Amino acid sequence: MTLLLAIWLLPLAGAIVNWAFGPQLKRAAGIIGSAAVGLPFIGTLLTWRAATSQAPGIHQHLFSWMPGFDFGLLLDPLSLIWTLIITGVGFLILFYSIGYMWPDPAIARFFAYMNFFVFAMLTLVLSDNFVGLLIGWGLVGLASYFLIGFWFYKPAAVAAARKAFVINVVGDVAMMFAIFMIFAKIGSLSFASVFGNVGALDGWLFWICVFLFIGAAAKSAQIPLHTWLPDAMEGPTPVSALIHAATMVTAGVYLIARCWPLWNASHEAQVLVGTIGGLTALAGALLGMAQWDIKRILAYSTMSQIGYMIMGVGVTAYQAGVAHFFTHAFFKACLFLGAGIVIQKLADEQDIRRMGGMRSRAPVAFWAMFAAVLAISGFPGFAGFFSKDAVVYGALEHGHPWLYAVGIITAGITAYYMFRLFFVTFFGTYRGETAAEHEHEHDPAHAPGWIMAAPVAILGVFSVIAGYAMIGANSAWSRLFAQTFPAENVPSVAISEGWTTAILFVVMAAGIAIAYLRYATPVALANAPARLQLESERMPAPLVKLFYFDDVIDWLFVKPSQALGKFFGSWLDPDVIDGAVRGVVAISVGLANVVRGWQTGLLRSYALIVVLGAAAFAIYYALQGAVR
Amino acid sequence: MHPDLLPVALANYVGLSSVIFVIGVAGVLLRRNPLIMLMSIELMWNAANLLFLAFARAWLNNAGHIFAFLVITVAAAEAAIGLAIVVVVFRTRTNVDVDEVAAMKG
Repeated sequence: MTLLLAIWLLPLAGAIVNWAFGPQLKRAAGIIGSAAVGLPFIGTLLTWRAATSQAPGIHQHLFSWMPGFDFGLLLDPLSLIWTLIITGVGFLILFYSIGYMWPDPAIARFFAYMNFFVFAMLTLVLSDNFVGLLIGWGLVGLASYFLIGFWFYKPAAVAAARKAFVINVVGDVAMMFAIFMIFAKIGSLSFASVFGNVGALDGWLFWICVFLFIGAAAKSAQIPLHTWLPDAMEGPTPVSALIHAATMVTAGVYLIARCWPLWNASHEAQVLVGTIGGLTALAGALLGMAQWDIKRILAYSTMSQIGYMIMGVGVTAYQAGVAHFFTHAFFKACLFLGAGIVIQKLADEQDIRRMGGMRSRAPVAFWAMFAAVLAISGFPGFAGFFSKDAVVYGALEHGHPWLYAVGIITAGITAYYMFRLFFVTFFGTYRGETAAEHEHEHDPAHAPGWIMAAPVAILGVFSVIAGYAMIGANSAWSRLFAQTFPAENVPSVAISEGWTTAILFVVMAAGIAIAYLRYATPVALANAPARLQLESERMPAPLVKLFYFDDVIDWLFVKPSQALGKFFGSWLDPDVIDGAVRGVVAISVGLANVVRGWQTGLLRSYALIVVLGAAAFAIYYALQGAVR
Repeated sequence: MHPDLLPVALANYVGLSSVIFVIGVAGVLLRRNPLIMLMSIELMWNAANLLFLAFARAWLNNAGHIFAFLVITVAAAEAAIGLAIVVVVFRTRTNVDVDEVAAMKG
């Protein structure tokens, strides 16, 4: 149906218009950019009934490329949820960007990139086959590269963009291998025919899952391919909110949820993915405790929360993993956009040690982020509570008790470091050294405050209510996915869901209490600068060094690559290859030097040689005659 | 062979031709004046012509006569070009010693 095509292509049109007419549009690019994402959101809402009423959803065939590969769009409950988040949260973030990017002269380029990203992400989730998915997969990586390096005059941003792109390409290549293997076994790449013939994959199934997961891990910042995500915070804050929190980094979750028939058939793949997800959740939370940059804390918390999602879909609790994606998109976007308000008020200060007392200066951000922090901590009644409970309990139900334990521990750490961020930023008094008061409300160089405040407030509201669809055994959420994911027949487990909720609540409350005692008691607030100083000095080395992941990757891959480059650059190329070329030249020159000695220019000597030659012939034939 | 046709023995023609040819060669090799060198080349042409005619008479084959005319024609052309080169070289350097004209030296 044409509506689906419009949903898919409108963001691309927005990107083209903003890119081509950017210099003329200036800030109007923001309106076009927001509309190009907001209209598809309305369109997606209109298709809701059609997409969820019959089993496969809306399937729109576009063209046949070659036998076994038809390109088409598929809107079923799974891609519907992703499309709603991409366009809905995407619209709010783009609208917010009008304010955030207001002073930037390259605002049209920003919106062109953002629209291009939305188009790429929609390609990824709407494709009905693996090739379209891979195309979208590559394009979102490209968009991410553009946007991380948006401020290309900052060397750190350029380095971060390059790092993100390289690591993502590692994942793209791994995914390509998986797709090759699927094609070799089945001869078709449409989801319907692949998932209908999982049995034909037999011995290759586990390796297909492994390669697909490497792709998912690179995109979704799973250990050990996560190191690009914290660096990606060099991009503008709305980029971090949309791409590196709400949508692109959850593509790995989408991939595994989409490929559930493969995962259902391979227990080894479930263990692998669940374990990596759990470890990522734990490592991200631990690293989040040790950061001081507000955006990097959020980046590690994103990594940790995606770890939960991957753990959920990895242990085949698909509904729970997707539910956590759904709620996370709201509260994490809210956190990033709120952080963006704070950062802009403090003239690009991102270190929470030099914040404090922001509650009175950014009240909207304070209240919205309060809701979001409670949501991410899993406070009962807030969005994250329902989905996180489902993921953690799902791990136990599907027979992974130690992942269950990791999930519970991580929940406590999450509550601690998120409230640490919240208390240190918003409570106490302002600790900044520069008294740079950037109150933009009456400054014509900046946008009206409501442009940024309204999306944050809306996301704050959704951070509360987004989980209400998931209440109860026969919830709206489980009915939505009843035909997408198989009916689960899980054995009853020792610990009931009610007890799980209780344990999670106690652990979370402990995390909040520790954060309160350390950062928000009257004594702590009074001595905040000294205490924060002491804490940064006493930070354990493994946390400061980010568990040495960057160092190990550097040592394993970057250093050998540089050594190889040096080997080629300083020996093989100049000495061997250039040497061969120079050798040929030297031989030619040497021969020429010998021969040119003979060219005396003396006409009579040439004549003498001619005569001698003629005489030699004459003597030769004379002798021949004599012999005969 | 009829004696009237070739009253002198063929070997004498060959001998005279060889002498004239060697004189021409010696002139080209030893003299440095290009005019003299051109004249020496003419000597060599004519030594060859003498042999053509002598053998044509000896063997009653007119191809030798025809070839002699061809040689005369080519020799005339060669002389014209050779003299032209000499004149051009003389104009540029007022000196026509062939040992001095060695711009193409390697």
